[in-house]
Formats: sequence, structure tokens, C-alpha cells
Amino acid sequence: MITLDPAMLNRVIKPARYTGNEWNSIKKDHDTVSVTVALSLPDVYEVGMSNLGLKILYQILNNREDTAAERVYAPWVDMEAEMRERNIPLYTLESLKPVREFDIVGFSLQYEMSYSNVLNMLDLAGIPLFTAERDEHMPIIIGGGPCTFNAEPVADFFDCLVLGEGEEVMEDIIAAVSSWKKAGKINGRSGILKSLAQIGGVYVPSLYDVTYHENGMVAEVLPNCLEAPLIVTKRVVKDLNTVEYATRPIVPFLDIVHDRIMLELFRGCTRGCRFCQAGVLYRPVRERRPELLLKMAKEMVESTGYNEISLTSLSSADYSCLPDLVDSLMGELKEQGVSVSLPSLRIDSFSIDLAQKVQQVRKSGLTFAPEAGSQRMRDVINKGVTQKNLEDAVSAAFQAGWSTVKLYFMMGLPTETDEDVLGIADLAYKVLDLYKEIKGRRGAKVTVSVSCFVPKPHTPFQWFGQDLASEFERKQQLLKARLRDRSITFNWHDARTSFLEGAFARGDRRLGQVLLKAWQNGARFDGWSEYFKYDVWMDAFKTCEIDPYFYATRHRDFDEVMPWDHLSSGASKEFLQREYEQAVTEELTVDCRREHCSACGVCPGLGVEVLDWGSRA
Amino acid sequence: MAKLRLEITKGEEIRYISHLDYASAMERAIIRAKLPVAYSEGFNPHMKISFASALAVGVTSQAEYIDIECKAEIDVNQAVEHLKATLPMGIRIKGAAYMQGNVPALMAIVNLATYEITVPLLAEDIGIIEDSIRWFNEAEAVLYMRESPKGKKEIEIKQYMAKPITLTALEKAVRLILEIRITPTGSIKPGEVLGALVAMFDLPVDIDNLLIHRTGLYISNVNRQVSPVEL
Repeated sequence: MITLDPAMLNRVIKPARYTGNEWNSIKKDHDTVSVTVALSLPDVYEVGMSNLGLKILYQILNNREDTAAERVYAPWVDMEAEMRERNIPLYTLESLKPVREFDIVGFSLQYEMSYSNVLNMLDLAGIPLFTAERDEHMPIIIGGGPCTFNAEPVADFFDCLVLGEGEEVMEDIIAAVSSWKKAGKINGRSGILKSLAQIGGVYVPSLYDVTYHENGMVAEVLPNCLEAPLIVTKRVVKDLNTVEYATRPIVPFLDIVHDRIMLELFRGCTRGCRFCQAGVLYRPVRERRPELLLKMAKEMVESTGYNEISLTSLSSADYSCLPDLVDSLMGELKEQGVSVSLPSLRIDSFSIDLAQKVQQVRKSGLTFAPEAGSQRMRDVINKGVTQKNLEDAVSAAFQAGWSTVKLYFMMGLPTETDEDVLGIADLAYKVLDLYKEIKGRRGAKVTVSVSCFVPKPHTPFQWFGQDLASEFERKQQLLKARLRDRSITFNWHDARTSFLEGAFARGDRRLGQVLLKAWQNGARFDGWSEYFKYDVWMDAFKTCEIDPYFYATRHRDFDEVMPWDHLSSGASKEFLQREYEQAVTEELTVDCRREHCSACGVCPGLGVEVLDWGSRA
Repeated sequence: MAKLRLEITKGEEIRYISHLDYASAMERAIIRAKLPVAYSEGFNPHMKISFASALAVGVTSQAEYIDIECKAEIDVNQAVEHLKATLPMGIRIKGAAYMQGNVPALMAIVNLATYEITVPLLAEDIGIIEDSIRWFNEAEAVLYMRESPKGKKEIEIKQYMAKPITLTALEKAVRLILEIRITPTGSIKPGEVLGALVAMFDLPVDIDNLLIHRTGLYISNVNRQVSPVEL
């Protein structure tokens, strides 16, 4: 057990990040279990504690008598300095034991910009960074989350990466590690890695060799042993009604990012937005039954004492039984002072009615994501929202009493022209005009947030070359000049951060060297603008003689071997290509949830089906 | 409306949480315990609870007080039992009583706080420590510069010292007992008193490693000194 000096904790900001003892946290005697797991998200406590996947795994793993699951997050820079000065290794919040004494360390990889924190945490833990440098006495380092679908840039640092949903596969992994330990860690490190490689959804990067063409493109990724499958396909839970959920989540003392009950209505979204990676990775749509959700909600209020329930999903307004669910939730929990909130709204008046119902009193701002400014552009990305949908939704919101609207967009989408970019401004002014028409006076506030589009693997736009940072900046200025009205607030993303994200999102294994170099030169918390060191990253690329533009801004041919072609989400490359081609010709694809199948390949390939209760009632 | 007053602790397990965190931990425990707590009217209803005096990050206490306004007066023992089962580690209930009639807010009546400061010694000779404490106790006035994000402000410390500081020698550490007045116009924090002792009275202690523990909160006048649950 680590002793934490008062001098250290008195000096850092928010020391409660590092001292645990939260309600619903679970402390087990490690001598009574066969496997110990440190669950982590490589970011600060408030971010890591907000991740739903880790909450679920914490409960599932701790439900097992043979397993102890604990938590560890990235110490903030002040705490890191104190820990390094005092030689305090990275420790878990439950037992205050060094992370390197655990059997498994699991990192949730939610965004590429957290990779440098993984290296930093391994280093703070005293764990060798490279999988090749770790023997059987070191923890097994596992990655999960969306980034694993192309975690090639971090492949050299992880022992295995898990593709898809963790509920079932984590149990398989625990069983494998447990029997390996009981057999005296038979065949050492390579023994366990080969046995993990045989579990569906588990990718052991060291069991694959990558070869490259002279032009730098990937030639092949092939297994180097019989145990590793040619293609690793994601794991998916067939029926969410039958798996454990995080009904007893930890209640933190300090405010975290999502400090409320998260009620997950369903998984998957098949609206088919062509830029969206989550839309592909979490297919197909599987809803929980409304009666189960109500029961879960009541359990969670009782187990946490939270007074707010957020209805979480990729697109909560699409839940087939939403109005009834909201009514019953509010009816049964209102007495206890519990409120219900919707994190995202669909752009239609149905959503406004719902928002009005749940936020009966508090008229905080409404957020919509048209994603693109012009109708042409929205058709390219298959957003399926018309100008009229938008006007109706905004009008309904103004009539219902709202006056503040936030609009989210992207720039740098395929086929984008300056006219499309300026369409964003037109839309913002249209919203102001609508308010004036409805209310007879000015007074609306519109916030326009525009991010820089980062093409992601496993999406129809995976072949598309990202805009140059200079092009993003030009478009930002163009828009800024047009958005001069005092009622409009214009926010935009740092183009250079998006460029780096772009390189890593579609990177290959060679980027591991760049990551190592950048971390050695001080890169960490890259997702936090105040700590993002662009020059350190560019120097690292230069030192490693690797060209970031090759990864970020280069257009790929359809026949190019992608670094992630051996990792499957279930959606076929043919489907993705078809979608890209339809994007360019501005053709729409329908949502297979309630209309006909668009043959992405997931359901037949993975033996799953769409579960949508509304459509069968 | 019934006002339930509890005497509770802030233990070692939650030493580093803030007063706001402590308050919301209590709020959530009260919801879990299903106490018939009252909420304010209005658009943004909040639970009707109030505390006596905020405790800083890094400070523990054996004498925190909270008033919980209830819609119904359930049996005290029953309320305590329910709440005990839902309190996080570090919060224990030491006393409970319903306050009868129109009781003034805890914040308005508490006027004395007692603390124990434990801090490692940087000198072997206890005589040096005793000297510096005596100088402080005998000083007419001690001016201390309080620095906050809002700026600097000079404060006279001695007006808030209800009694002279006493000390106990421990192994390689010293324990100081402080009694501090809480007045309508302000007070001084125990950490600030120690800061003054180190800076102006050469107290040879490792101030970075200080541990502060609140031992009591009182309503004190010339006749008697009682805790808020003894009223």
C-alpha cells in the first residue's frame, strides 16, 4: 500500500481525485481473488469517472468472486510532478496498491489524443512501455474502446486490444488469465497472449507482422502464428436486456463531467451519417425494454442518491418507446426530486416537445447538430435533415420559450466548397430571423461551434484526405468574417490538434515511434489545449523521419490496404465504398432500423439482429 | 416542518474533499436513506439542508453540524439508522435531535471552533517550540497577510484567539490546541495561525505536512459553552 504524504496532497489541486473511498467503490482483499484488474481511462479523474463502459465493467468484474477490479486515472500534471519527486508509483484508488502489481491493466481508448497519457501512466507505474519488454511478472496491458478499431499506432505498447462491447469478452479474458495463473503461468508471456488471441474480439498485435510497399503504404498484415486469426471481428452483445448494467455506479465526491445517472436506452445508431465512426462500430441498434429501463432507473436512484437521470444513447430521441418511458420515469421519480434530461436532440418538433416535457421549468439552451450548413452538404454526409426540419425545430423551440440555441457543425467534409461553409452562417442568421418573426423582436442567442472534420477508419470517409490545417484556418476566417452579429457566438476547433488527431486516427504501427518520442519530449494531456504541444509532435515526426501528411491529408485509393483491414466492425468494405460513392453523388441511404436493410453486413456476419420495440408492437 | 440536527464527522477517508463536496455527499446520502426531506419551491428546487461552518480541503472534524428540514417528523433513531446505512466512509453520526420552534440558522449561532493541529518538528529542542508559542500568546497583536485570488488583505489574528494556544509534544511532532472565535465580521483559519507562527515566531515545524482536525464547534457566552446539539 502506498502512503500519501499530506504535504503532497495539500499542495495539489483537487486532491480528492487521488484518495478514493467514494460511495459504491469496492475494496476487496487481493488474497481472496485470483485475478486483479486496474481499470483506467488515460485522462484526469473527472473525465475517466464519467465513462459509462468502465462503470459497467467495474460492476461486472466485481460481481465475480474471483476478481477484484479497481480504478486508476491519469494524475494531473501537478500530481505527476509530486509523484515523480517522491518516487510514488501509479496506484489504484481502492487499495492504494501499485498498478504494476495487478494482473491486468485495462485502458479505455476513447480518443487518439489520450495516447501520450497511456505511455505516461505506464511509465509512472514502473511498467516497461513495450509489450516486447514485459515478462510474465508484469501486468497484461489491455486496450478497449473505439480507438482499438485502429490502434495500430499504439500496437507496440499493448498486449492485446479488445474490439467491440466488453460485457462478455472481459469475462472470457478473466477466465483465460485465471487458468493461466493457476497453471503456473504456463508458457510465460507468450502462453497467455496466444490463449487470449483465440478469444473472439481480442487482437494481440504482437502476433501479427506488418509489411510495407516501397511507397510507404501497407502491403500486408498477417498473423505470425496459428493461434491468431486472419481477421479479428468485434464482439457484440446480442440482447442488452440480458446483460449486467452499471446499476451501482460509484458516486464521486467531486464534480465530474457527467455527474448524474446514465440510463443507456440502446446501443447502436443506423441513421448512417457517413462521417460517423460510432454509427458503424456500434451496429446494429439494440434497444432495452422500457420496463427494464424503468426498473434500472429506480435501482440507480436508490443506489446513488443522484437526482438527475440522463437518457444516454448515440441518438436518444430515436428510442422507440421514448414518450412513454419519459412519462413513467417522471411520474415515478418526481416525488424524490429526480429530473430527467436528454443529452442530444433530434432536429424535429417531436424532440422539442420532449425537451419541453423533461425540462419543464429550466429553459437552458437547446443544442442541435445539423453538422453541415448547406442542404447539399447534409445530403453528402447522409444527415437526413432538411432545411424545413431545422426551421420547424427551431421555431418550435422559440415558441416553447427557449431563446438560446447551440448549433454544431463540421468543416472540411468531402466535396465541400466555400459556399457550403458559408451556409453555416446563413443558417445562423436564419435562426435569428425566425426568432424575430415569432417573437416580434430580437433577442435570440445563437452559438455556432465548428469542428475540423477528422476522417476516421471504418467509415465511408476513411479514404478521404483531411483538409490541410491552413485550409481549415482559411475557412474559419471566412466564416468569422461573415458571423459578425453580436447575437452570434462563433467557436472553432484548433486545426493543428485536428491534424494530429487525423494522422493518428488512420495511422499505422510506425507511428508508435513518433508517439514515444513526443512523450519523451513532454507531450501529455494533448486533448487539453493548454497542454497541447504541437511543436513537440512535429519535431517527433521529423526525428522519426515520418510524414504526418501521408496519414492525415492523403487521399487513398479504394484498393489500398488499410492498416486496420484485419480488424473488423462487421461492416464490409464494399458497403463503406458504396456509401462513399453515394456521398459524392449526394444520394441518401435510409435508416435500416425502421426501413429496408442497406446491406452493411453486420447482422448476418455477426449473427445479431436489430432490436427495436416500437416496430414490433 | 421539523428540523433534524445532526452531529457528524469528516474522517480521514475524506480529508481531502471540499466543503461543497461534503455537502453534496450528505445530500445524496439523504436521498438514498429516503428521509422525508423538504425542497425549496421554485424553478430549481434544492434540498433544504444547512451547515454550521465550512471546513477546508485537508481538514478533518469530529464536530460537524447539519440541519435537515423534514416534511414529516419521523422517529430520530429511525432516521439515524436509515442514514447510517447510506453514509459514505468517513461520515459518522455522533448525535441527533429535532430542534423545536423557530430555531436560528446554525451558521448564525456558532461562534467558537476548536482545533488540533499536528505537525512534524524540524527542531529537537522542545524549548524552542514553547518559546515561540509563548511569544505568540503574549503578543498584543499579530498582523497576518491573507492572500487569496481576490487579493491581499491584512488581518489581526489575536482578536480571534479565544484562548492561548497550548501544546503537547509527540514523537517528532507537536500538537497544538487552538480555540478560535467565529464572529459576524470574520474569523481566522487554523492553517493561517500556523502560517503566522512559522513566518513571524520562527516555529520550527514542517508546515507542508500539517494535519488539522476540528474538535468542536460551540455556542459560547460568558455563562456556558454548548455544542449545537446540546441546545
